[in-house]
Amino acid sequence: MDHHSNERMPPKLADQFLRWFCREELIEEVLGDLHEYFEYELQDEAAWKAKLLYWYHILQFLRPFAIKKRLQNTHFIMIYQNSFKFAWRNIIKHKGSSLMNILTLSLGIGSFIFIFIYLKGELSYDRHHDDVERIHRVVIDLVNDNGVRLPDATTPPALAPNLKKDFAEVEHAIRIFPGWGSKFLLGSSDDKKFYEEEVIRTDSNFFEVFSFPMIYGDPNTALNDRNSIVITKKTALKYFGKEDVVGENLILFGSSRNSNLRVTGVLEDIPANSHFKFDFLSRLNIPNLDQYWGWYNFYTYIKLLPNTTMASLEPKLQAFYESYQDDEEDNNIIYSQAITDIHLKSNLKWELETNGDINNVYILSVLAIFVLIISCLNYLNLSVAESLKRFKEVGVRKTLGANKHYLISQFLAETLVITLIALAIGTLFAEFSFKNLGDLLGRSVSIFEGSNISFYFGICIVTLIVGLLAGLYPAFHLSSFNPALAVKGLADSSGKSVLGLRRGLMIIQFSISAFMIFCTISVYHQLMHIKNTDKGFDAEQVLVVENLRSVQNQEALKAELLNIPGVSNAGLSDGVVGGQNWTFTFGYPEGVLVNYLAIDPEFIETMDFEFVKGRNFSRNRPIDTADYTIILNETGLKDLGLTLEDVGKSIPLDQNDDTGEIIRGMVIGVVKDFHFADFKRPIKPFCFFFGEAPFDFINLQVSAANLNQTIRSIEKTWASFANEAPLEYAFIDESFSELHEKETRLSKILLFLTSLALFIAFMGMLASARITIKSRKKEISIRKVLGASVSGVTYLITRNFLWLVLLANAIAVPISFFIMKKWLQGFAYHTSISYSIFLLTIFSTLLVAAITVGSQSFRAALSNPVKNLKQE
Amino acid sequence: MKGTQLGEFEELVLLIVGVLYPEAYGLNIRTEITSQTGRKAAIGAVHSALNRLESKGYLTSELAEATHARGGRRKRLFQITSTGKQALEKSREQRNSLWNQISDLAWKDLNYGPSF
Repeated sequence: MDHHSNERMPPKLADQFLRWFCREELIEEVLGDLHEYFEYELQDEAAWKAKLLYWYHILQFLRPFAIKKRLQNTHFIMIYQNSFKFAWRNIIKHKGSSLMNILTLSLGIGSFIFIFIYLKGELSYDRHHDDVERIHRVVIDLVNDNGVRLPDATTPPALAPNLKKDFAEVEHAIRIFPGWGSKFLLGSSDDKKFYEEEVIRTDSNFFEVFSFPMIYGDPNTALNDRNSIVITKKTALKYFGKEDVVGENLILFGSSRNSNLRVTGVLEDIPANSHFKFDFLSRLNIPNLDQYWGWYNFYTYIKLLPNTTMASLEPKLQAFYESYQDDEEDNNIIYSQAITDIHLKSNLKWELETNGDINNVYILSVLAIFVLIISCLNYLNLSVAESLKRFKEVGVRKTLGANKHYLISQFLAETLVITLIALAIGTLFAEFSFKNLGDLLGRSVSIFEGSNISFYFGICIVTLIVGLLAGLYPAFHLSSFNPALAVKGLADSSGKSVLGLRRGLMIIQFSISAFMIFCTISVYHQLMHIKNTDKGFDAEQVLVVENLRSVQNQEALKAELLNIPGVSNAGLSDGVVGGQNWTFTFGYPEGVLVNYLAIDPEFIETMDFEFVKGRNFSRNRPIDTADYTIILNETGLKDLGLTLEDVGKSIPLDQNDDTGEIIRGMVIGVVKDFHFADFKRPIKPFCFFFGEAPFDFINLQVSAANLNQTIRSIEKTWASFANEAPLEYAFIDESFSELHEKETRLSKILLFLTSLALFIAFMGMLASARITIKSRKKEISIRKVLGASVSGVTYLITRNFLWLVLLANAIAVPISFFIMKKWLQGFAYHTSISYSIFLLTIFSTLLVAAITVGSQSFRAALSNPVKNLKQE
Repeated sequence: MKGTQLGEFEELVLLIVGVLYPEAYGLNIRTEITSQTGRKAAIGAVHSALNRLESKGYLTSELAEATHARGGRRKRLFQITSTGKQALEKSREQRNSLWNQISDLAWKDLNYGPSF
């Protein structure tokens, strides 16, 4: 034995564990067997493995036959049963305050669950792909001659194949070519066809990079054939009424001829947390695609070889890119992004889908924790306040022999019951909110789906712990009463410190509430500012009808629409103002990156752009259809180095990249600057060309009166022109709101959480006021007897509370001012934080306090003093 | 012991106790099960089964003399009781009777290999 080192002995801890749970009479034989077994294992196995096996067998003794029957032998269960019974009786007895406790706590827990389940979704984007850490997107930011950098997610189609060719680290490189808003008419037969937008064209090795589970078909070969198409489950059901449709044909209806596509795979529907979504996946069928370096319409993704990282590749990207550019002036910047960073951290122009924002994740997590803290503090506050009522109970229990230990467990049991009930209600509340706020979140979420469930249980444990922590103080506090004093109903000597604690808690609660109110109002102000700012054109009355390509005779449609009484103007364009616009570079001697639209002459009038100088396009002037006859906005004029003097004159406008030949042109008009992008960036140069049919959009100026009637007429006219294509329209106003979708979402969630926080704080203050008044009943009565007025008494009590709220504001307002100022700086066009926000915040918190406390104290002041003084 | 059925694992343990007589105790029963059938059972599972069999009256046990191995801890040695023997016989009879009732025709199809 003595030369046995510790290494060769069975783990002591395991033996102790066994001794702890195992029945006395079994221990000897069991330990004997186990030790013998350990010796035996040591002969063949490494010590660590033998120990591990030893632990395994120890744990295997956790069976009913071996476990001590301690629970039946002691009062253990009885005491705990009693604790819960008493807990339940107490909750029932104090119905009002229990209800308040449970309600506020469940609101807090509910919003905590709500926010964190939602945020988990935000953080889970694109993590479903295999080897996700090896997948990256390569993007190219455009840099114009002035050195202005335009972040851009798109890349030319030549990038992917050359990345694969030049870098050994790249295992696969693929392109994604989305539909860019075009609508494809697809059908399983002539009678069953739909216009589809969610179409992605890609390379054959798409599934080598991305993992989307394929139910039918083989992902390795699904895209081998040029005429193959992979569809999602819901699409299969839509077209064929069944899921297994591999081998079926889909017809792509073209304007001149139709083509047949063979379904080679059916995918599970694309998960909500993928940064791009699609219903159809087919092969890129464009000849010589690998040579184009100037066509920024593709997304490039690469998958690295195992055990390689971007760190070795990233520094070589810029040189690689430049080696393929003929133009020495090309200053574009190429770089890569981890695919898991795209949703929250990328936020470039032309993202495949509106991104989330990591800052919102931080903001919301903090707020959710705030709300939970508020509601727990509330619980703490209420229980401490409640404790004043329970002196006698504690006293009697102690006199009858209950020890401190028992009392603590009794009060904790109460907390546990309340927290559990609140947890259940909070869960329902969160799930209910998910069901009803899907729009607000931008995707549907449920607690009870997939991996959310285990996460949910994690949250439950956290809330239970936090709830119990909140119950800890009252439990210790209550159980420490001196029984002799308690039975007499006298407040103990610690009364003062309890009051201090309650005040502290209330200040924290109201600080958080004031902070949230301030932020909410500021965000709302900024959104209103965006909505109300003059955009430089008439955004509210212009209706944009999409999908115009499905109309053969666009001029005839336009003429017909103008016959509708509610439509006063109609203009054609190949893009939308307020959407994402195409850009190109031109200018002499230096090129400038310019957003552009091709329009017809009526467009300017429809949009109500205001001319600073010059004129509109005219069909009667041949010069207007020339290449470089343009209308600019003011910024465009300035950035191109022109002045109003140049308008209407033939001037050098551009230079041919290849020949160096200077191209002359004419700026025929300048319109006032207008907002066409989100308010985060300054207004950029904008340019209008005279366009030719076919256009993509028709813009209609409609009058607000009889709008429904007008839209019905538009629908009717549309149906007679557009070969079964659905009418899709939106007010420009709405597309502007979409540009600020993230902020709108944030403001709504903020409003939701702020109302909750304020409500909880309100409940807390109400309870606190009631308790205070109760304990000061005699004082109030004596004051009244001595001649105090009702208003005087009301003021006396309310005053203290209002000071607390003011103090809370003094803490919260400067902090929120600082934070919101930072937030607003993210906008190029932002409102200032006006004094009205300060006043509103302070006023609303004071009002809540005044109403709650005031009404309570008023009631107390009205009560009959004789009645109160008679007691005792 | 009306209605007490021998479980499959219990039957195995009971038989092994017989095989190992008079040296049957927890650990070597487990070792024997593994060497005879290739099955791996946790020591706790064997102890649990022995415990159950003893409470059903199929086994008796006594603690053996202390030895130097096992840190001086005694083994509990098990032995089949007459009730245990009856239970084993009953189980075997049931089985045999069932075997006898299967007609040869039932195996007929098994003689042919898979057909196309």
